[in-house]
Order: sequence, then structure tokens, then C-alpha cells
Amino acid sequence: MGRFILRRLAFFAITLLTTSVLIFTLIRAAGGNVAAILLGKNSSAEEIHKLSTELGLERPLPVQYFEWMGNFLHGNLGQAFRSKQLASHLIWSQAPVSVPLSLGGLILAIIIAIPLGTFAAKNFNRPSGAFVAVLSQIGIAVPVFWAGLLLSLVFGVHLHLLPTGGWVPWSENFVGALRSLALPVFTLGIVMASTLTRYTRTAILDVMNEDFVRTARASGMSRRVALIKVGLRNASLPLVTVLGLLAAEMVGGTVIIEKVYSLPGISRMILDNVTAREVVVVQSTVMVIVVYVMTINLIIDLAYGLLDPRIRVGK
Amino acid sequence: MSEMMQSVKNSLKRPRKKSRLPLIVGASITLVMVIIGVISMFWIPQDVNVSDPSIRMLPIGTPHHLFGTDFLGRDVTSMLMTGVRTSVIIGASAAFLSLFIGTLFGMLAASISKLDEPIMRTADIFMAMPGIIFALVLASTIGAGYVTTIFALTSFFTPAFVRVTRASSMRVLSEDYISVARLYGRSRLFITFRHVLPNVSSILIVQFTIYFAAGVLSEAGLSFLGVGINRPSVSLGMMLHEAVEQIGITDPLGVWPGLGIVILVIGLNLLGDGLRDYFDPRFSQRVR
Repeated sequence: MGRFILRRLAFFAITLLTTSVLIFTLIRAAGGNVAAILLGKNSSAEEIHKLSTELGLERPLPVQYFEWMGNFLHGNLGQAFRSKQLASHLIWSQAPVSVPLSLGGLILAIIIAIPLGTFAAKNFNRPSGAFVAVLSQIGIAVPVFWAGLLLSLVFGVHLHLLPTGGWVPWSENFVGALRSLALPVFTLGIVMASTLTRYTRTAILDVMNEDFVRTARASGMSRRVALIKVGLRNASLPLVTVLGLLAAEMVGGTVIIEKVYSLPGISRMILDNVTAREVVVVQSTVMVIVVYVMTINLIIDLAYGLLDPRIRVGK
Repeated sequence: MSEMMQSVKNSLKRPRKKSRLPLIVGASITLVMVIIGVISMFWIPQDVNVSDPSIRMLPIGTPHHLFGTDFLGRDVTSMLMTGVRTSVIIGASAAFLSLFIGTLFGMLAASISKLDEPIMRTADIFMAMPGIIFALVLASTIGAGYVTTIFALTSFFTPAFVRVTRASSMRVLSEDYISVARLYGRSRLFITFRHVLPNVSSILIVQFTIYFAAGVLSEAGLSFLGVGINRPSVSLGMMLHEAVEQIGITDPLGVWPGLGIVILVIGLNLLGDGLRDYFDPRFSQRVR
């Protein structure tokens, strides 16, 4: 297990390093002349050159990269050119919205999908199972933002149960914050749950026909016990992979849902800063998101190793 | 016990013929959507960018404006047709490019062991990146539009094709007849094109339809955020963006584009499922 964890951690580090180079290149290559954009249209070449030098944008890109990465690793994420606000501060102020939203959605998806998928697999030849399968098929096809719009229409506009958008900070009103997050989390959760339900169903159906489940049944376990004790554990392997993919989807979904419910989260911050060409802030923010997704993936990977001894030994 | 005997008996029975219904329904929906897209290239009822304030917000069913008009008096039918075309073009292009690049690298990884590790790790890295964030950054720096959207989606989808191609190519390469072909003196290239590619093609076709659908959804999401397709082009996601920004969520204008996306995606997913059953009846027997 120790070697397995080490190998995973090494891959984690390498991936982050490669990604950072990619992010840097992409944002710098695509960003155009940052100083010129910061100064606006009516600026002379001299002014642009002066500001570029001041901000250190004239230096060779590798130098700038290593400076950025070095600072990043020391916890200094840089600051905005204009407002001089710290990137870490900007990111930290979005976290109370984006983190509960994304994690809440993911957890809700798991809570809904695993029992539902198992149910659909167990009853695959009954109408109830088919109904769940059809439902998940439709759920997969619904774009997350449209689901959000429809849900806020039903629960917000017609039933007046929950706010259709906007944000109440946690410190101001805890219940209010919960209420403004309820619909977004629910939307994200059910949309991701439809994909996960489908995969759970397939994975369990696959396992149900395996010899070891038959053996477990023959050894006297009831259908349900065999499925949960032997089946679910084996079915969890493909599921864990899907969860990893969902983690990336979760970020995308969060960005879109924040827009639907006009929440002041990470997506608004990135959009604002990209438009303002605050390249350092954007680089660091994207990097933080990648670290976030990769950490979830790492945890999932380690769980994978716990579930399946074969993975630990190495492929 | 009797239940178990039954299940043993069932597994011995000759596989029952699977219903072709998903395949037929999925193919029909997809075909209709593609036809709508193709028609919109040559003819739409009205120019999608010409507004006429005198006929703002006409309801559905108005003569000459079957789906009504929007807040600027633009014809919704024309916009829906053009939007479907955009969805089809972007979804198909992104899926096709990913298929092409992914198959190439997947087969390279499977047949040349030196390249395996580097290619797969690169795929892993791309897979870990939140695609939508990159699309967002790309769109706002180099400008939104068809090319940016397709590029972003392709780099997001390709790793999945690499993985699937590699895994299924490996399975084919471990078959006995491949060893025979090698002993016979067949080159690596010959084996790849003659034996591996035909045997993995059905899996890749299924994968293509699934990612076609994913492309449609992602494009809609990006356009909804305002960083995908913009005027003068029209996309279904962009129509929803406009509807929400301009008139709020309560208007039926927010319904049709969403419904269009859902129908197209369900069609493609059903087509994918149907094709998988068609190509591999054993698989469907086990899984369904």
C-alpha cells in the first residue's frame, strides 16, 4: 500500500507540474499584449513598454513561469495588476460559494445514484427498473443549465419555496445562505446523478452475472446480501473511475450553475479577470481549480486501492 | 434455490433477440435533426438577425412565425433551425476530430510499447483538466466562435478516445491470430490496419455517437455562458442565454431551445446504445 500511495503522489505532482506549464503557455500565448490591454486603446508604445517592464512582462517567458510557479508553491498566488488585490484573497472569497456547491452536488449525486442504480439493476426485467433506466437516460440528455432554469421556474417562481437566484453570505444569514444554495446543489446533484445511475446500473448488472456472485448465492447468501456484500464491492471499481470523470464534470457544472442562479462564485471571478487580462490571477485561479479536481481524483484513486488489492500491487 | 436454477437455465438459453427499437428511434431522431440542419443551410423562413420591433414576442402558432418571435421580433423557427445546425456541426466536428486523433494515438500506444506510457500519461493529464474552464479562458482571450469551441471540445474529448482505442486494440493484439500474422511476417502497420482497426471500429462508432451528444451538450453550455457561439451565428444554448438575459425564465422562449437540445441528445444516445447492441449482442445480453 505504501508504494502504491507513493506512486500515486508522484503522478499527482508530475501532472500538476505539466498542467501548470500548459496553463501558463495557453494564457500567455492567447492573451495578447497584456500591458496594451491594461492601458486601453489610447496609449503610446512608450507607455506600454514602461508598464510591461514594470510588471515584469518583458522578461523571457520561462523566467516568468518559474517565478510564478516558485511563488505559487510558497503559497503566494500573485496579485491583480490594477487593484493590487491578492489572488489568494480573491479565490478565498469565492470558496464559500463554489466549494459547498460543487461538493454538495457530487455527494448528492452519489447518494441518489448508487441506490437508484442498484435498484434499476436488481429490477432490470421489471417495469420499475426500466422506468429508472429511462429516467436516467432523459436526465443525461438535459443540459445542466436548462435543468436549473426549469427547477427555478417550478420551485422559485411558481411555488415560491426557494430563491431563484442571488446569494446571501454565510456570515450574514446562515439559513439564507443554505436556502440560496439549495436549488443549485439540487440541480447539479440530479444532473450528475443521472449519469452515475446509468453507470451504477451497468456495473451491477455486469457483476450480477459473474461466477463469484453465483457462488455467494450458492453459499446461502440471499440475493440482496450477495449483491451488497460481493456485488457492490466489485461493481465499485468501474464506478470509482466514473467518479473521477464526474469530478471534472462537477467543475464545469458548477461554473454553469453559478451563472444560472447568479451566484458570486468562481466562474464570475474567472470571467471578470480573463476579460480584464489579469493574467496572473487567472493562471493562479485555474491552477487552484486543477489542484482541487486532482485532489479529489487522488482521494478517489487511493480509495480505489483500498477497494481492490490488485490495484495496489500495480498494473 | 429454484430462482438460482432458473438463472442458470437462463444463462444456458440461446440469447433472445434484442429489440431494435432504440436503434430505430435514435437513428430517426438523429436523421430528422441532421435534415433540419441541412435544410437550414439553404433555406430558413427568415434571416435570424433581422429584427422587427413591430412584431415582438408573437406567441407560438402565429401564421408565418410558427414558433413565434423573440423580444426583438426575430423569427424563432429560423433561429431553432439554425441552432440545430450549429449543434450538429459542432458536436459532430468535435467528436470526429477526437475520434481521428484519439484512434491514432490509442493505436500507437497499443502497438508500440515505448510510446505507451508517455501517451497514456499525457491523456491522463488532459483528462484531469476541467475542460470548461479552459474553454472559458480560450474563448475570452482568442475570441469565441466555431473554431475555438471545436478546438476546446476536441482537446477535452480526445483522451477518452485514446483510452478506449488503446484498451480494445490491446485486446485484439493479444489474440492468437495476431501472433500467427506476426509469424507469417506481416508488418506492424499491416496488422494495425488489417486486423486491429476493423475489430475496434464498432466500439469507436459507439463512442463517436456518445461524444457527439456530449459535444452538443457542452457547446450549449458554453454558449449559454456567452463564450461559445455568438451572433451573428445562432446556437440553441445562445438562444437560452438571450432568453434568460432579456426576458427572464418564465417565458416559453426558454423552453424550445432546451427541448431541442434534449431531443437531439436523447436521439444520439439511443443511437449509440442501439448501435452497441447491434454490433455486440453478447454485451447487451449481459448488460441489459
